[in-house]
Amino acid sequence: MKIGTVHNRDSFLENISSRLGRDTIETTVAQPQWSSSPQNRVLENATKEELITVLEKQCQVIHTDFVRVKQENKLLETLNQVIESYGGGPIITWDDPRFEQHGLSSLFERNDTSMWNPSIDDKNITLAEQANIGITFSDITLAESGTVVLFSGAKKATTVSLLPTNYIALIPVTSIVPRMTQATTIIHNKIQDGTVLSSCINFITGPSNSADIEMKLIVGVHGPIKTAYILF
Amino acid sequence: MKVTLFATCLVDMFQSNVGKATVELLERLGCEVEFPKGQICCGQPAYNSGYVKDAKQAIKHMINVFEPSEYIVTPSGSCATMFKEYPHALKDDPDWQQRAQGIADKTYELTQFIVQVLKCKDVGATLNGTATVHTSCHMTRLLGAKCEPFTLLSHVQGLEVVPLHKSQNCCGFGGTFSVKMGQISEQMVDEKVLHIEESNADFLIGADCGCLMNIKGRIDRKKRPVKVMHIAEVLNSH
Amino acid sequence: MAIKIGEGPFNQRVEKGLNNPVMRGAVSSAQERFQQRKANAMEELGNWEEWRSLGEEIRQHTLEHLDFYLNQLSENVTKRGGHVFFAATAEDANHYIRDVVQSKNGKKVVKSKSMVTEEISLNSCLEKAGCEVIETDLGEYILQVDDHDPPSHIVAPALHKNKEQIRDVFKEKLNYTKSEMPEELALHARELLRKEFLSADIGITGCNFAVAESGSITLVTNEGNARLVTSLPKTQITVMGMERIVPTFEELDILVSLLTRSAVGQKLTSYVTALTRPRMEDEVDGPEEFHLVIIDNGRSSILGTDFQSVLQCIRCAACINVCPVYRHVGGHSYGSIYPGPIGAVLTPLLEGYEDHKELPYASTLCAACSEACPVKIPLHDLLHKHRQVIVEREGKAPVSEKLIMKAFGFGTSSSTLYQMGSKFAPMAMKPFVGENQSISKGPGPLKSWTDSRDFPAPDQERFRDWMKSRAKGGHMDENRYRS
Repeated sequence: MKIGTVHNRDSFLENISSRLGRDTIETTVAQPQWSSSPQNRVLENATKEELITVLEKQCQVIHTDFVRVKQENKLLETLNQVIESYGGGPIITWDDPRFEQHGLSSLFERNDTSMWNPSIDDKNITLAEQANIGITFSDITLAESGTVVLFSGAKKATTVSLLPTNYIALIPVTSIVPRMTQATTIIHNKIQDGTVLSSCINFITGPSNSADIEMKLIVGVHGPIKTAYILF
Repeated sequence: MKVTLFATCLVDMFQSNVGKATVELLERLGCEVEFPKGQICCGQPAYNSGYVKDAKQAIKHMINVFEPSEYIVTPSGSCATMFKEYPHALKDDPDWQQRAQGIADKTYELTQFIVQVLKCKDVGATLNGTATVHTSCHMTRLLGAKCEPFTLLSHVQGLEVVPLHKSQNCCGFGGTFSVKMGQISEQMVDEKVLHIEESNADFLIGADCGCLMNIKGRIDRKKRPVKVMHIAEVLNSH
Repeated sequence: MAIKIGEGPFNQRVEKGLNNPVMRGAVSSAQERFQQRKANAMEELGNWEEWRSLGEEIRQHTLEHLDFYLNQLSENVTKRGGHVFFAATAEDANHYIRDVVQSKNGKKVVKSKSMVTEEISLNSCLEKAGCEVIETDLGEYILQVDDHDPPSHIVAPALHKNKEQIRDVFKEKLNYTKSEMPEELALHARELLRKEFLSADIGITGCNFAVAESGSITLVTNEGNARLVTSLPKTQITVMGMERIVPTFEELDILVSLLTRSAVGQKLTSYVTALTRPRMEDEVDGPEEFHLVIIDNGRSSILGTDFQSVLQCIRCAACINVCPVYRHVGGHSYGSIYPGPIGAVLTPLLEGYEDHKELPYASTLCAACSEACPVKIPLHDLLHKHRQVIVEREGKAPVSEKLIMKAFGFGTSSSTLYQMGSKFAPMAMKPFVGENQSISKGPGPLKSWTDSRDFPAPDQERFRDWMKSRAKGGHMDENRYRS
């Protein structure tokens, strides 16, 4: 990968160093030890079922439809129901082996479903823009806030969850953690291990919204207008 | 118990009834009240307006006056807060700072003193009617005296305390703010008076003479029927 | 738009604000909504004070080692293919950004909400260079369409407008034909702006927090516009104030949790997006080229001073949402893109006292701001510190006030003088005292008080005289009226 350029760094940072009473730019800072960690205590001892209850309740707050599939063989049926309730296709999805793993291959037999395909380049954007529904899996799910965390990749484009009018997240029960803390720890550990980080990590909490007009909540602004989480 | 009264300049000059009620109340609760006559203003008007150097003269004088005291009690949350600010105001002078800390440590706002030191919740007062309470900003946010007035008022016979809408909002006094920014101050006190009226209370009770002077000034100007009382006067009613 | 907004002196701006019932209605009801939402979110988190202390600790640590973390950030951005420009001044930043845009032959720029680009007047620089610059945050868009009305709040920039006014602006400028319902207004903006996103050459964003350990920049938003700005145009430029940085993702968790609760009362906003590099091979969305512009513009001169803690600010506006002065005068009265308590502290530091010397006095020091701040900036103390600087270092206090305060210092330097003064007060005030023992038309500085309130007449018998006579009358041991 090409290394980027950097301009004016030394003079800029030396000025800061001197304002902070140092002769030179600090070269090492010990990893800080914070005096408390309240984030670790949130939902600390909650069971998986309790986390699911928290998630479901939070979905009401964030204007998100929540459906739980108790038997995995019903996942396809449930997904199809949600798709219909959102008005059907066109649909765009990630190119993700999890669709097949969870018995959802028939989704791609529809003639109005397209899978993100790097080889067709910008046409993907057009397809996503015209799609009625975007579907992705959740990589990590935060119970407290009702958030799905998506790590982008060549086949896992960020715009699938953004450009279509509606968005459906498929949430494996195993992906649920208490809150953002567990997700940022995973990311932090990846960085420490030298794992290549996704270009874009999205924490998505329900549909897009705005309160810019008289502080009144409008659901659906530039991103999806409706969002559903299907837990399985 | 020996208590040194810091009356505050507003009480001294404009609201002597509050001072009298404070003395009688404390005596009734078994305190021996002394009044060092060298006491003047706590220095807050100059200090808060940015005239820190000028205020320091008053501050040092007050430290000299109150140093021998065991407990310093004042019927004003804001002035008590100023005493607590003394060590910070004199932080550049370690000797004075230490002396200031001594003063700060033994200073109590009246209701704080009654509840925390005298361990008394019921002072045996009676007042018939409904009241709403103005919780002053310095007293609640900086001094941390949030519950004490309510604890004491809940035991006053015949008195019903009703909530005040947006009670956390400042009344617009702010010392010199009330004259420097008179037009803004007016809007703030107006809203406060509106909420007081909406509470339908007979009495507006507070523990800070500055706020009360401000609110009463507006109530009187608008010829509203609400009676403004300092909490010392309420607790001294029987 | 620079930091300074609006015309005329402070008093005139305040007057205008106070006489704008539409703005005041919108602001007070918004304050209530903000406060209610924040209270709910705080309650659910439980130990809010512990979170605040941790937030403060993280921000203080980061500022103390800002040179280290900015260096680490820039290393990590460039290592992953992004470009970093350190801009000491607004001008440096604008010129760099303009050059990047021109080198890409960029004609259309879409922006997501960014206060720092307002601060450096980036839009006007790009417009002068022939670009079309489109604000895509709904609030910012409304203001831009309304002939660049300045923002009045740092989170909800169009807070001073009601929906009828917005409908009228849309009707006049955007061929809007529907009602004043916020949903319909927003849908109209969505449809118009979608086309702009898809055809823009350049995306410009602000930055809520940069993460030093990875060179990531994070955007905390609700509308989805920042995601569009960073996924569709081929070139992305992110502009950040130099203090908006955290060491690692672990601290990001804490600050985002505090920010979303304090700003909008949400556990998380709809989108928290962490962007770490230009698109990789085979990626179709995301920018091909990424530039990070890190801005000083006066911030470094705050480091190492009594005001350093103001740089802890995470721009949540919690202080603005509780300020009783802001509530009545509105954002434009402050004459700065940064209004409310944070603005009254920050603006004179970034722009000097000359044009902003009234701001530190536009507060009762009620400390609602300090109590609300999620990273514990002692805002009311800093306002007080400004007053001290204005009086004692800048010499900008009014002469009449100086005389009064000198007299105060003199009068309170000895109890004899104070006692004389207070003793003669009833006599001096007598001509102004009305029938019910109050003053309704006061002289000098009292006039501003008595314009709206009665002022009590001094008691004939001072409290100290009562104490003295009581002691003499044998009610009290005379020693207790001690010197």
